[in-house]
Amino acid sequence: MKNHFIKLIFFLSLVIFLGTSASYSATLTVNDEAGREVSFPFPPKRIVSLAPNITEILYSLGLDEEIVGVSNHCNFPEKAKRKVRVGSYISLDFEKITSLNPDLIIATGAGNTREMVGRLGKLGFQTYVIFPKNFDDILQSIIHIGQVVNRDREARGITEGMKRRSQRVIELTKNLPRPKVFVQIGEAPIVTVGKGSFADDLLRLAGGENIAGKEKEVYPRFGMEEILKRSPEVIVISSMNPKGDYQKILQEWTRWKTIPAVKNGRIYLIDSDLLDRPSPRIIDGLEELARVLHPERFKKSIQN
Amino acid sequence: MKIITRKRVLTLSLLLSLLLILVILISITMGSAKVPPLRSIRILFESLLGLKGTGNETERTIILSLRLPRAILAGMVGAGLSVSGATFQALLRNPLADPYILGVSSGAAVGAILVILLGLGTHSLGLPLASFLGALLTVLMVFYFGRQDRKIHPHTLLLAGVIIGSFLSALIMFFISVSQKEELHTIIFWLMGDFSFSNARAIFIIFPYIFLGIFLLYFRSRQLNLILSGEENAVQLGVDVERLKLISYLSASLLTAASVSVCGLIGFVGLIIPHSVRLVFGPDHRLLIPASAFIGASFLIASDTVARTLLAPTELPVGVITAVFGGPFFIYLLRTRKVIKTL
Repeated sequence: MKNHFIKLIFFLSLVIFLGTSASYSATLTVNDEAGREVSFPFPPKRIVSLAPNITEILYSLGLDEEIVGVSNHCNFPEKAKRKVRVGSYISLDFEKITSLNPDLIIATGAGNTREMVGRLGKLGFQTYVIFPKNFDDILQSIIHIGQVVNRDREARGITEGMKRRSQRVIELTKNLPRPKVFVQIGEAPIVTVGKGSFADDLLRLAGGENIAGKEKEVYPRFGMEEILKRSPEVIVISSMNPKGDYQKILQEWTRWKTIPAVKNGRIYLIDSDLLDRPSPRIIDGLEELARVLHPERFKKSIQN
Repeated sequence: MKIITRKRVLTLSLLLSLLLILVILISITMGSAKVPPLRSIRILFESLLGLKGTGNETERTIILSLRLPRAILAGMVGAGLSVSGATFQALLRNPLADPYILGVSSGAAVGAILVILLGLGTHSLGLPLASFLGALLTVLMVFYFGRQDRKIHPHTLLLAGVIIGSFLSALIMFFISVSQKEELHTIIFWLMGDFSFSNARAIFIIFPYIFLGIFLLYFRSRQLNLILSGEENAVQLGVDVERLKLISYLSASLLTAASVSVCGLIGFVGLIIPHSVRLVFGPDHRLLIPASAFIGASFLIASDTVARTLLAPTELPVGVITAVFGGPFFIYLLRTRKVIKTL
């Protein structure tokens, strides 16, 4: 009987101990990529992602249940489409976010505005901001998110793989002539990628030369005349418009036969999510880009 | 005031067409790619004569397939919008009337936006066709609601136009708020007026409408003069006023519809050109209509040239340029010349 009593006491104290430790779990305080101090319960159990690349990173780290809300643009992986939507870059659904009561919101400096993050703070939510600007930054951001959500090991695994694959692309294309490339991301008006865009960085790594690489704007709008003048040898269509008809865009290009890329039939379509979204899949974009820029070099090495 | 003879109209038209040709020639020598001006003009004339001499293939493509069609198209749109604006100002007896006053532009915009959102192709003929249909439907609707006892009362028509236009604008706002990033970009550029949407084929498609519209109105210019001095007056002088109004409104609307269908909403041209022409050549429509056509064409070609070259390689929407020039110029006219009195 006494024995049982001690057991009960022990059991109860264990319950109380576990209970308190669960409600007062550890708090992590870190600086995010925008230099803001963020502190939140660690590991966070209820995460809202405000951008497609963040959602992809979270899933690649093996999270799923922890992701309670995603942006309207989050379309990968397929599972992400079934999560609660919390609005777009330009208009967040603050009410929905509040109702989800997240431990941590992850935002991107490239799409979400400072005002938005500030307003989330006023509502009492902690927001970790990532702000990758090129390929190497993306690796850093994956590592950072890994630390924040307690998946360091997975994050390191992913970035090691990405590093290895990008090194290989760089090695293989290092001594090849660099073709002049025009990347089309908008069809009407024609918009391309300038300095500071991910696609521009990828082009450099994949052994190509962006004909708009010296433009100050990140997404400059080009007239057809300018494209004729700069005569690209390869055209990569990376339309953001999911309904855009590739055949029709292709047809449109065939009218300009003086462009070497058109004359030689070197017009390719690459999913814009692979070229312009700073997620782990960007390495697929890099390899695909390298393949279309240097088909002779990659014929054997990478199976399509 | 000078007496207006057919000879005077002809002489003036000839002079203004020389101006137009000059503007076209200047326009094709300018662009982000540097083709020497004289060589540009030689390429043009040699191809007109069926020769193939000067310049390499890229230069010929730039001059003949890019700059020239665009100048011609801008010219037709400029002429169409100016004549349309002049007509609306006379018919509504309102100096603030412009080609878009009856909501035609909003109808065209709804048509265009629907095509963009449904992804039916921004390059093919879908976009101009849809906006043209949108504009025509709007015109029919405005006339259906704006006429009373089979008669056109300018104020009722104007009200119907403004109300339908506002309703359609609300639809446009709705579409914009639900569209995605890429579609949004396309829509905004269309709404600002931009020639990069069109290609050389568009010339042949809108030419009949522009030509027909301007001529129908030109042959009624004498009657338009009479209606300006009051409808009763015109009736007493033997004008079939209702018929005149119907044909003129429809012709002007057709001009607007054809113009906006290839390049979106270009503002100010239809407002400032007729007023400027009135100041210089007087309010007589026999001169006003041809002069507006030529000067409107020249103005829009010049504006589009600026839009193409100002920030090259980036192109600006031409509507931005016409507004930047047009707005202050119009204020200047208002302050110095009393535009309203000349109508």
